[in-house]
Amino acid sequence: MTDIVLECRKLWKVYGKIAAVKDVSLEVREGDIKLIFGPSGSGKSTLARCLAMLTMPTKGDVFLTGECLTKPGVDLNKARAKIGFVFQHIWLFHHRTALGNVELALRHVLKLSKEEARERAMRALREVKMEEWANHYPAQLSGGQQQRVGIARALAKDPKIIILDEPTSALDPELTGEVIDTLRDLAKKGTTMLTISHEMPFAREVATEMIFFDEGTIVERGTPEHFFEHPSSERAKKFLARLIKRTRRE
Amino acid sequence: MIDLLIKYFPMILQGFLITVQMTLFGVLMGLVLGILLAIGDLYGGKTASTAIRFYVEFFRGSPLVVQLFIFYFSIPNMFNILIDRFLVGFIVFALNSAAYQKGYIKGAMESVYEDQMTAALSLGLSKTQAIRHVVLPQALRIVIPAWSNEFCSLAKSTAALLVIGVPELTSAGKTIASWTWRVLETYTLIALIYLLWISVMMKLLDILYNRVKIPGIEIVT
Repeated sequence: MTDIVLECRKLWKVYGKIAAVKDVSLEVREGDIKLIFGPSGSGKSTLARCLAMLTMPTKGDVFLTGECLTKPGVDLNKARAKIGFVFQHIWLFHHRTALGNVELALRHVLKLSKEEARERAMRALREVKMEEWANHYPAQLSGGQQQRVGIARALAKDPKIIILDEPTSALDPELTGEVIDTLRDLAKKGTTMLTISHEMPFAREVATEMIFFDEGTIVERGTPEHFFEHPSSERAKKFLARLIKRTRRE
Repeated sequence: MIDLLIKYFPMILQGFLITVQMTLFGVLMGLVLGILLAIGDLYGGKTASTAIRFYVEFFRGSPLVVQLFIFYFSIPNMFNILIDRFLVGFIVFALNSAAYQKGYIKGAMESVYEDQMTAALSLGLSKTQAIRHVVLPQALRIVIPAWSNEFCSLAKSTAALLVIGVPELTSAGKTIASWTWRVLETYTLIALIYLLWISVMMKLLDILYNRVKIPGIEIVT
């Protein structure tokens, strides 16, 4: 009935007395590229982790292709297998080569044969232009290369959606370009994505919707045109002005 | 000294082999048990964690000789049975070494734990799979230096088996010394055998450590 891939309704995440995510409702449809941005410490990462079920929401529901993930008894491993997640600090497995990183889930989650897993992992590495580096260990790769492997690892299992938590913010400025190029390629292929990012040129180019997030909740949402031409909330205006100033300086 | 070695060779060899067996069994069983204890402590919940702490405190907090006595005299006495002294040796060394190794392994697992575990779970791996394919392979590499320390210490602790009459290397030396009255030479010879053996094993573990080291990662010591 719907083409909604991932959805959350009235989602809350509370740590002690502090609410990191407050009453957030959001839906991602097939082919959408949603971009969340906002000040650091505003709960963006927590929201991303709740959506990927890497953190249990305190209240509210998460649905993946219509299936509720927040009710008791759900096989979370199975659900997580259908979501690709890319971390800000990359977190490749240090003891495995690039290929080994990508293969792991294919072998042990999707239970593919050795040959099949290898072939699919190589295909994923090719997509991020890292196939030449397949046999290198993470510590032998640059940050940008590592993050591309991180993207291949999330992508290889053919997820319904890929969630990216500031995939370029831990990288040196000169390395962000190659990761953004990779993401742009994915966007062109119609990959459903939810990404936290402050790469405004990228946002303007590919985002189907931008979401301004502050103090644990959605302040404003709209198309890139809306945000770059006439954002309505004062906070979004100020934040964007600062971001654009910084981007120009760089 | 050489003539002592030649004359009592069968006895020394037998003693040496017993020492080697006890050490290897203790250190390997200790590793297996140590891994299980570390996992139990980290993921088993409060009850398991408390039980494991008591176990570890007992084996680390009491003398090895006392442990041997307990398993050789006290426990069999309580149940009115007899346990073979070799078996007691194997059991005590495995349990004792496990208590120490659990600490090393747990520390190593904690050092790779959080981010690597989260990354593994995000792929859809179960916790057990994540421990097996991601956390343990890294933790066991890290633990090798501590592990070779444990090996070194355990190899010499096997001399304590003499108190329950297991004819290991030190005990063989004691017998030879009392037969020949050449005390200084005998014990020097025995010490040299330990030294040589332990040095060879340390070197082998060093080679192993370098062979399984993750490429690109240098640990500055």
